[in-house]
Amino acid sequence: MPRLTARERREAYQREHDFQVKTGKAFFPYAIFHDTVASLVTVVLIMGMSIIWWADFGPVPDDPEAGRAGGFLGPAYENRADPGTEEYDPRPEWYFFFLFQLLRIFKEPEMLLFATIIIPTLLMVLMMAWPFIDRRPERRVSRRPIAMVLAVATPVALMFLTWEGSKAPAVGAASDHPGAAAFANFQPCGTCHTLADAGTGGTVGPNLDTSNPDYATALAIIADGKGAMPAFKAQGLTDDQLSCLAGYIATWAGAQAGAPGPKAPTAEGYPDSCTAAGPDYAGAGAGG
Amino acid sequence: MAPPIPTPKEVVQIPLDWVEERSGLVSLHKYLLFRNVPKDISWLQTLGSALITTFMIQVVTGILLAMYYHPTADGAFESIRYITDEATLGWLVRGMHKWGSSMFVILLFLHMGRVFLMGSYKYPREMTWLTGAILFQLVMFMSLTGYLLVFDQRAYWASVVAININGTAPILGPFIAEFLKVGPEFSENTLSRFYSLHMLAVPGGIIAMIGLHLYLVIRLGVTSPPWSKHRAKAGDV
Repeated sequence: MPRLTARERREAYQREHDFQVKTGKAFFPYAIFHDTVASLVTVVLIMGMSIIWWADFGPVPDDPEAGRAGGFLGPAYENRADPGTEEYDPRPEWYFFFLFQLLRIFKEPEMLLFATIIIPTLLMVLMMAWPFIDRRPERRVSRRPIAMVLAVATPVALMFLTWEGSKAPAVGAASDHPGAAAFANFQPCGTCHTLADAGTGGTVGPNLDTSNPDYATALAIIADGKGAMPAFKAQGLTDDQLSCLAGYIATWAGAQAGAPGPKAPTAEGYPDSCTAAGPDYAGAGAGG
Repeated sequence: MAPPIPTPKEVVQIPLDWVEERSGLVSLHKYLLFRNVPKDISWLQTLGSALITTFMIQVVTGILLAMYYHPTADGAFESIRYITDEATLGWLVRGMHKWGSSMFVILLFLHMGRVFLMGSYKYPREMTWLTGAILFQLVMFMSLTGYLLVFDQRAYWASVVAININGTAPILGPFIAEFLKVGPEFSENTLSRFYSLHMLAVPGGIIAMIGLHLYLVIRLGVTSPPWSKHRAKAGDV
């Protein structure tokens, strides 16, 4: 379709508008009928979801702070908000899952800006500016190749990110990585060291989230000690236990948004040594 | 002489004429109801009305919820429990508000997809699209602020995460995060700030934008789908 001058395009619109007014049907009752049917379907769907949700509610709990269970549409409500919890797995509402997933893709601290600001802002600007970018009068999608690609790619990308985001592990919550419990509970590491992933905040020794030791450094210091820190090999830890702790620290120190820290690649395979190190080291669920 | 007794028709007509003479509202409504629309509009073009209906559900259920809700750290969860467990049909009101919000977001995406695929944003309807894009952002902000109000674990921690993500943005991020939290830390005031944004500020913006959006839709007219044979008769448009 050729480019139109401003006048041609105004006349074309006016011609079509006049034609539609002349040959059209009255909004009432013709269009109102369609709109009413669509609205009724919507109301029925919303009420239906509410009833299905309600039908699966568990009994009202006696504890005034406790949650009330539900079925596959989720609980009536969860436990009362408790800012002191350290083991809650926070999740956004489903329509923010795609943003949540972007955070996991751009997990490196220097890349995080892409996920939090740059990509969402660009998308919003693109959305608002779209009619000013695509100014051709052609409306049939078969003759708008770029629009067709966008129309397929956007929903596919959004649905994919939403789906991946729905399965994502927690952001910033205490993790269930093998080694976290050992670090926090079975060894006194957390008394002296801060490591956000394990939920410890000790300030006697270096903050591991800022020092980010790699696997070899962590292993050497844990085994042989350094400065005020005792040598844990001499205290009877096995090689597997030492390796599990060093691997855990190298992997999850400096973790951002649920993604491993910068030295994680130096500690590949560390979960295996945790499994070999005995039940207390095999994960948060295994010990007391 | 006694005044003549009005006929039943006059009983309706006289007040209507009175209103019409002073406001023009009667002829406006006649125009809105009886204006012509294309005779082959698609079912896909009813998604906008479905959105208005959903919005009205959100307004009505939101008002009902506000009658029982306490926006305080001590009272919020308690009042949600009361609404859900004890108030007559409270579960239905809260359920419709909760599922209505999900429905709203889904319909919004579908409506936007329909407008995009049919090329309905093209000249002279650019402003209609723009007001729709602003509505989209306002609705996402509604979802964000409404989530905290339930004040259960999920609500609280999702909001903490969302605000912290906001805070990582450069320059404005920390200010926005502090504005939403009402200070450096999450506090009771955070809840009342979210409540006020959710039920006063943002709905006001949404109502204004819907008004402008609808004004533009009616002023510019609806058109047939691009594949319409009927539309082709209008000439090379």
